[in-house]
Amino acid sequence: MEESVVTFNVFHHVAWGTTISVYFWLVGASAGSFVISSFGWVFGIKRYKPLALTASVTAIGMLLLVPILLTWDLGKPVRFIYLLLPGFWHATGPMSWGTVLICSYPMAMGVYTYFVIKNDIFWARATGIIAIVLALSTHWYTGVVMELNPGRFLNHTALAPLLFLTGAFISGIGLLVLILTMQNLVVAAEKRIDWKLLIEMAQYMMYGLVFDAFLLFLEFMQSIYGSMNVVLGHEAVLMGVFKFPYFWLEIVIGLIIPFLILVSPLKRNIYAVVAASFMVCIGVYGMRVWWVMGGQYLQSFY
Amino acid sequence: MEGARRSYGLQSPGTRGVAGAKRYGMVIDLRKCIGCMSCAVACKTEFGVPLGSWRTWVKVSDKGRFPNTRRVFMPRLCNHCDYPVCVRNCPTQATYKHKEGFVLQRYNRCIGCRTCMVACPYNARHLLPAKRTDNNLPHMVVDKCTFCVHRVKKGIVPSCVQACVGGARIFGDLNDPKSEVAVLASKERLTVLKPELGTSPSVSYIGGDWEIMDEPHSYTNRTEQLKEEFNDYKRNHEGDAFADIVEGEPTMPQIGEHAIGFLKTIPHKAADVLKAFRIFLFG
Repeated sequence: MEESVVTFNVFHHVAWGTTISVYFWLVGASAGSFVISSFGWVFGIKRYKPLALTASVTAIGMLLLVPILLTWDLGKPVRFIYLLLPGFWHATGPMSWGTVLICSYPMAMGVYTYFVIKNDIFWARATGIIAIVLALSTHWYTGVVMELNPGRFLNHTALAPLLFLTGAFISGIGLLVLILTMQNLVVAAEKRIDWKLLIEMAQYMMYGLVFDAFLLFLEFMQSIYGSMNVVLGHEAVLMGVFKFPYFWLEIVIGLIIPFLILVSPLKRNIYAVVAASFMVCIGVYGMRVWWVMGGQYLQSFY
Repeated sequence: MEGARRSYGLQSPGTRGVAGAKRYGMVIDLRKCIGCMSCAVACKTEFGVPLGSWRTWVKVSDKGRFPNTRRVFMPRLCNHCDYPVCVRNCPTQATYKHKEGFVLQRYNRCIGCRTCMVACPYNARHLLPAKRTDNNLPHMVVDKCTFCVHRVKKGIVPSCVQACVGGARIFGDLNDPKSEVAVLASKERLTVLKPELGTSPSVSYIGGDWEIMDEPHSYTNRTEQLKEEFNDYKRNHEGDAFADIVEGEPTMPQIGEHAIGFLKTIPHKAADVLKAFRIFLFG
């Protein structure tokens, strides 16, 4: 075959960047924290009740940062109001649904938290069920918003929402373990959360890591047997320019090392569990980075 | 070419082949393209397209080995797809598919979220910068090729077609069997960009070279000079919204720089918010 080189082309920017990656991470951590919060009040696991308030406040706190990031990212922040006006609503746009979810989810969490503080079991459970559906939907939507771009070969996969939700679950638990550890260090002894509970939560995180690894393996298999675009996406983007967030952050620091810690005898050591949780949080951020920017990278040369 | 007639929200059902309906499209005869870039210049002049952004451009590739070489060109623009992903994904109805084939942008509805830019498989959209030579022109909204709808309405061809010295760009009503574009569409072998995506583009090519039309090839077979130019472009980007990664440098520090760039823009945006509230409250 004769040689062929591209000698001139114009250049294109990557449209979504760091702010969107951070936003995805925050929404995920919020949803994951809220799932843990609901264990006690919605699913009736009583030993989780003491940490419900901290977990839901963490979830609300994470989510309150989201509108700030997103509106600043618009360039002219006040224009976010258009997303809330019925005349602008566009049902086929995933972001339209995302706006509804991002607005309703913190409200539902707020009501749930109010009933948790009031110790109202019935209403805490009822509002908790609504809030947990909204929590999962909010993070499901972040996967969908990346997935529904058929031109972005790395993102256009039905596994996207599932990968995002799994990442949310593990990063939420990781973040909560870190926050509860810090809380335990400052509160009075009788108000401390049992360390054994944190160790137990980390085991849930380990199951999440296994599932995450399975999903990543499926993606990897598809990428190496896929079209040239996907193969190149894996070789040049994930193992090339984005090797650090993909391979080192997500797979090594965020998956393999925490998994080894959590299956070894170290899993009973709270320091090791805290370290694993921190690594999982960092690893999931790496995943958000390559999902947002890596997916767009290759096409910016087309 | 014409499959089942699908319709998504703001997308008019396809009018290709519908009697009495107009359906504008473009055929680019690559045998006649000489790569003079007149089309790109004419477009820039017509719309005052800012530096670094393009509504249409010409990609160039060199083939063969000396002395048996040839140069191939690939004019690019918005494909005005029959089933445009950008229209489907826009959250504020800012972009729509006109029944005569145009995919158009409504600046007054655009919030600059760049969802359409992410969705477009052809890089046909760009964000207008915050600072423009004429402040009355739209800024911080997404813009794209309109097939020069303002000229077509008056019976004039788009400016890129008018400026094309080789007559390589042919524009017209595909539903009119006597139009040049319809004759070419029926007689010649046409190719479109990324047909596998199902977008059904309204821009077709005659004599397209598969390598220059191929996305992986555009990345893997660049000249070293082009790589450096790309990197320079990315280093000099403006605005926190962009996340351009410079090749050959560690990724995470670059992402950190993007975050710092984002923080630096906050004072400007705060001024923007205050201005908006001032107008809202005091007119």
